[in-house]
Amino acid sequence: MSIVIGVLEEGLIYGIMALGLYITYRILDFPDLSVDGTFPMGAAVTAMLILKGVHPAATLFLSFGAGVLAGCITGIIHVKFKVRDLLSGIIMMTALYSVNLRIAGKSNVPIFSKETIFENAFLQERVPASLQPWLITIILLVIVIVCKVLLDLYLKTRSGYLLRAVGDNEVLVTSLAKDKGMVKIIGLALSNGFVALSGCVYCQQKGFFEISTGTGTMVMGLASVIIGTKLFGRLGWVKTTTAVILGTIVYKACVSIAIAFGLAASDLKLITAALFLVILVLSNRKERKVKVHA
Amino acid sequence: MMMKKMMSREMKTVMAAAMAAMVLAGCSGSSGESTTAAPADTTAAIEAASAGEEAGETAGEAGDASYVIGIGQFAEHGSLDNCRTGFLQGLAEEGISEGTNLTILYENAQTDGGTASQIMDNFLAKDVDLICAIATPIAQSAYSATKNTDVPVIYTAVTDPVLAELASGDGTPVGEITGTSDKLPVESQLEMIRTLLPDAKTIGIMYSTSEINSESAIAEYKAAAPAYGFEIVESGVSSAADIPLAADSLLEKVDCINNLTDNTVVSSLPVILDKAAKKSIPVFGSEVEQVKIGCLASMGLDYISLGEQTGKMAAQVLKGEKKASEMNFEVIEQASFYGNNQVAANLGITIPAELADNAAALFDEITAE
Repeated sequence: MSIVIGVLEEGLIYGIMALGLYITYRILDFPDLSVDGTFPMGAAVTAMLILKGVHPAATLFLSFGAGVLAGCITGIIHVKFKVRDLLSGIIMMTALYSVNLRIAGKSNVPIFSKETIFENAFLQERVPASLQPWLITIILLVIVIVCKVLLDLYLKTRSGYLLRAVGDNEVLVTSLAKDKGMVKIIGLALSNGFVALSGCVYCQQKGFFEISTGTGTMVMGLASVIIGTKLFGRLGWVKTTTAVILGTIVYKACVSIAIAFGLAASDLKLITAALFLVILVLSNRKERKVKVHA
Repeated sequence: MMMKKMMSREMKTVMAAAMAAMVLAGCSGSSGESTTAAPADTTAAIEAASAGEEAGETAGEAGDASYVIGIGQFAEHGSLDNCRTGFLQGLAEEGISEGTNLTILYENAQTDGGTASQIMDNFLAKDVDLICAIATPIAQSAYSATKNTDVPVIYTAVTDPVLAELASGDGTPVGEITGTSDKLPVESQLEMIRTLLPDAKTIGIMYSTSEINSESAIAEYKAAAPAYGFEIVESGVSSAADIPLAADSLLEKVDCINNLTDNTVVSSLPVILDKAAKKSIPVFGSEVEQVKIGCLASMGLDYISLGEQTGKMAAQVLKGEKKASEMNFEVIEQASFYGNNQVAANLGITIPAELADNAAALFDEITAE
């Protein structure tokens, strides 16, 4: 049972991050590597704020804000300075490593003894013991659903439609007399906001900030987005945002199963890469078919 | 043209087949998972059975209790591997040995924090009796995963358990978690360097900015160095790729180099040793493995005995003699001297008798790893 809970917890935490990557990768068609830096950035901001005595719930918003800021900078580097998408992400990711160390003060900051959104006096008094094992999952579920609904609502606004239009057809946006660069910056800001929020939740659940947690965030997120959109996206009644979150859970389940069946953790990245490749190749085939139908 | 088309079709078929296999594997996996707690037990049973045939045969003879321990190690290098070896020896001395009444599940996180926490979830799912966590980040993962369970955690190679919030300021555990610290014997190391190099003024220390152990060690060196007439020159790297350049620039500035237990730097030690040897600058190690591969000397820890001490603590917990929460974390009191005669000869240094006579080991050759 604990392994199911473990998978759900991990999947939901990284699901928030996958929502962010969905914006950049699927909607904007922008492979944003800065997320490898913004994920630990969210964690660093959180650890630092919680140690300073800021309310754990407030850190959710503040780390989202920090992520938005970082995303804006990636966007400005790309749009205003005309640096290629991949490179602007790499520049940001590299810079953020140092920034994160500055924010947190050191490479590993434990907050075990502090109150977090998962462990505090308020919850301890009110939650019955029978619910305790599921508590983290339930809190995560609430956060994830709020994020998902807000993103869905945003995508239906004027700005949201423009965001989708930039990914599909940049010329259309220009012909509407809208600045497509600005739209891209907004998209990147939102995306990195979600990623940092995910880092914030991760830090609070694990009880410590560790600089190395960001490595591989982007690949994991992309794999989740692709698994989600390919496996669930074609079911009419599942929104893409939901599919992306489900995809993260499936991804984490695969990893967990792989470990449980005795696969060496050192081979994990290879499995991720293989899974990733197979799904990409398969999705290319499907997309071609769809195009024929259209 | 034709060839290309055929090729790509073939590729697609292969890919499709691979995908089908994946999907099948995925299905069987997930269906297994959705059925409550039973599968966890069966996988544990399978693990136990496959852990070694003799395990199954002799388990009955041992009679009383048999244990399952999950060992999670953060990275793969000599010192940590020695911890693990020592840990198993310590357990064996207490009558708990692999193959008779002990099943070991071993996972290595390869320095990935995300993997570390999944390893812990997996151990819990397999109902281990105790978790052994080797190195700070994975010990923290273990603590956060087991907080709401009654599975005890025994850690080792955690330099500063208080700073890592695994123990309170007075050394008492914060929960069902305790273990051993590999805090460096800074004072004895400095004294040893002074004895070997009476004229040296500056000591260079290389560390990686991502490792908290190193930062606290450097602070300690800086505080202690003036008393021995040394000045510490530090050089931070962010990855193994920075080490060659950082080593070049550091070697320009210092009389000798001193190594910490920094995982990144230790893994790249041969690069540093090579550059230092060319300039005849001595490098001091932090433990025996580093002296074997070419450090001049070390007043260091023996990670095997550190592991043994940890194993004995684990045995007490398993046998129910003490609870993890009742034991304070332990450190190895006595640092022992290790020297390398070959390196000393290359540098034109003789290891003074006062050190050599009390040495735990002296090596006469440089062994490549």
